[in-house]
Amino acid sequence: MKVLVPVKRVIDYNVKVRVKADQTGVELANVKMSMNPFDEISIEEALRLREAGKAEEVIAVSIGVQQCQETIRTALAMGADRGIHVLHDGELEPLAVAKMLKAIADKEGPSLILVGKQAIDDDCNQTGQMLAALLGWGQATFISKLEVGDTELTATREVDGGLETLTLKLPAVLTTDLRLNEPRYASLPNIMKAKKKPIDQMSPADLGVDPSPRLETLRVVEPPKREAGVIVADVAELVEKLRNVAKVI
Amino acid sequence: MNFDLTEEQRLLVATVRRFIDEHLAPLEDQVDREGVLAPETARAIFKKSQALGLYATNIPTTFGGGGLNAFDTMLLEEQFGRTSDILIRRAFGNVYEVLLRCSASQVKRWLLPSVRGERTCSIAITEPGAGSDAASIKTRAVRDGDGWRLSGHKHYISDGLFSDFFVVSAVTDLAAGSRGISLFLVDKDSAGFTVGRDQPMMGLRGTSHIEMFFDGIRLEAENLLGEEGRGMRQVLETLGRVRLGQVGARAVGKAAKVLDLMVEHAREREQFGQPIGAFQLVQQMLADSAIEINAARLLLWQAAAEIDRSGDGRELISMVKVHAAETLGRVVDRAVQVFGGSGFSKDQPIERYYRDARIYRIFDGTSEIHRTVLGGALMKKGAALYDPAS
Ligand SMILES: Cc1cc2nc3c(=O)[nH]c(=O)nc-3n(C[C@H](O)[C@H](O)[C@H](O)COP(=O)(O)OP(=O)(O)OC[C@H]3O[C@@H](n4cnc5c(N)ncnc54)[C@H](O)[C@@H]3O)c2cc1C
Repeated sequence: MKVLVPVKRVIDYNVKVRVKADQTGVELANVKMSMNPFDEISIEEALRLREAGKAEEVIAVSIGVQQCQETIRTALAMGADRGIHVLHDGELEPLAVAKMLKAIADKEGPSLILVGKQAIDDDCNQTGQMLAALLGWGQATFISKLEVGDTELTATREVDGGLETLTLKLPAVLTTDLRLNEPRYASLPNIMKAKKKPIDQMSPADLGVDPSPRLETLRVVEPPKREAGVIVADVAELVEKLRNVAKVI
Repeated sequence: MNFDLTEEQRLLVATVRRFIDEHLAPLEDQVDREGVLAPETARAIFKKSQALGLYATNIPTTFGGGGLNAFDTMLLEEQFGRTSDILIRRAFGNVYEVLLRCSASQVKRWLLPSVRGERTCSIAITEPGAGSDAASIKTRAVRDGDGWRLSGHKHYISDGLFSDFFVVSAVTDLAAGSRGISLFLVDKDSAGFTVGRDQPMMGLRGTSHIEMFFDGIRLEAENLLGEEGRGMRQVLETLGRVRLGQVGARAVGKAAKVLDLMVEHAREREQFGQPIGAFQLVQQMLADSAIEINAARLLLWQAAAEIDRSGDGRELISMVKVHAAETLGRVVDRAVQVFGGSGFSKDQPIERYYRDARIYRIFDGTSEIHRTVLGGALMKKGAALYDPAS
């Protein structure tokens, strides 16, 4: 079976994000970009399935600017077999991404799509769910454990009250959570091999998808600065402050 | 001119950086305190690194190495510099390129096992009476049938306790001066080989530096490395790249690591109600360090690119050796200052970096020797030697 893994190019988790002066978005110029950490976990899980003989091919897909190819190369250097790059310069919303992934899935016929539970830039947490709905496949989100059989899979997901275990029929869409695995290093031989692995490039139009945004961003602003605290003398003063200053009770 | 690294190069650097941070950095303090790296720990980090293809990356793939060119080797060597000498040796291997001179039969016995991490080689040139003047060695190999008898005494040989064979320089023709020196592959278990003291050092704790004595060791024709009488040339030709990597690049990496620690400390440590990094006198120490490190790194890249282009970069290598080693010296000195008392205290790693840095200006040719080489080249070839417009 084939496993499809979408990988998103995001601002590196170590970077302190700054809002652009014109408030249209965040500063991307000269900022370190990396693969979304949840997508690394997805790639790792897909590679483990291949190594266990459960999958034959791992395909990494990235949608966005030309430099997304670097993100795909990272996936290839970890061990993915080939890449697909959908070149698109403008803004992308989860629904457009889900539609393009559906078109790719229709073409490639994967049995499993491993999506990160969210991307650390916009934190949308929507693409996997929308994709499953568009495909009409079963889904398990936030999975922390996975066992794949011939026609079914068992996924453990982290929910507020504890752990939930689901059985799904293949094909399925899964979204991965932090505790699923620890992503591997790209080894030197794999880094060298990655150069020679193919990356197919296409456009949203090739996939029959119109990626124009449905939402309009009005303004992006920094969260308000945290103000210095005050020491209160007693409970009465605390209650008074909560009621009249913080206005939370 | 493009100073951007390729995606592969960035991945390589990221892999090595992560390996060092996760597997080696946590061992550094203990190794320095105890002066030894436990053999089972050494074995474990070797296994992990080898599985990632990070052992012997400088050796061509035909011999089982990583096949990196000089430039990529320097990128990794810079990262290696961020951890300590003994951990680099065990995790990544110091497989000397002089071993690429091995003939087909020598390859099996010495080179391949070194690349596989089954054998370890050190270079034994220095003697008590012959340091900077490496041609003045007294160790002699006297003809004996189709082989030789080796007698003499070496000292300060890095990693000598762990190593099981050595590239040894010896005089084969007394009358020929520096053209009468040859290199030999000498197994430690040879009859007549005695290991002397482990000579205690200011830094690099965990790595041994030993005396060794040769008492009429029998050498076969197969023990001769390269050509008879061309030992000094071969050393100059192949140790250039080693010097660039193990001294130049590692000095840059170590200085960069120390600057990271300095900036972190300058942000966190508060005096007079503000981070000490807010004081301009502290900022100057950070800024000067960043300027010098960046200059050293670009010089390193230039020398590495020159090796890949022409196979030789002798004068550039000397420049890097001097500039990177001295930059490291100034950076660790400032680091002690920025850290204040905790820079001098053994409870913080800065004191260790300070001790470990000092040798960079001495081994693999002292700063004075490299300056002398450069000065000589300038006198002979003129200042145009380093002028891109000429
Ligand atoms: C930790 C450590 C590890 C080492 N590892 C190895 C190893 O693995 N293998 C190996 O073979 N050797 C090794 N060495 C030896 C090292 O390479 C020598 O110490 C170095 O080359 C300097 O030689 P020396 O100590 O005899 O100093 P000397 O040559 O006696 O120099 C003393 C001083 O005189 C100066 N000087 C000498 N000649 C001149 C000149 N012509 N012009 C101006 N100044 C001059 C020097 O620059 C220096 O300042 C190691 C040494 C140390 C300390």
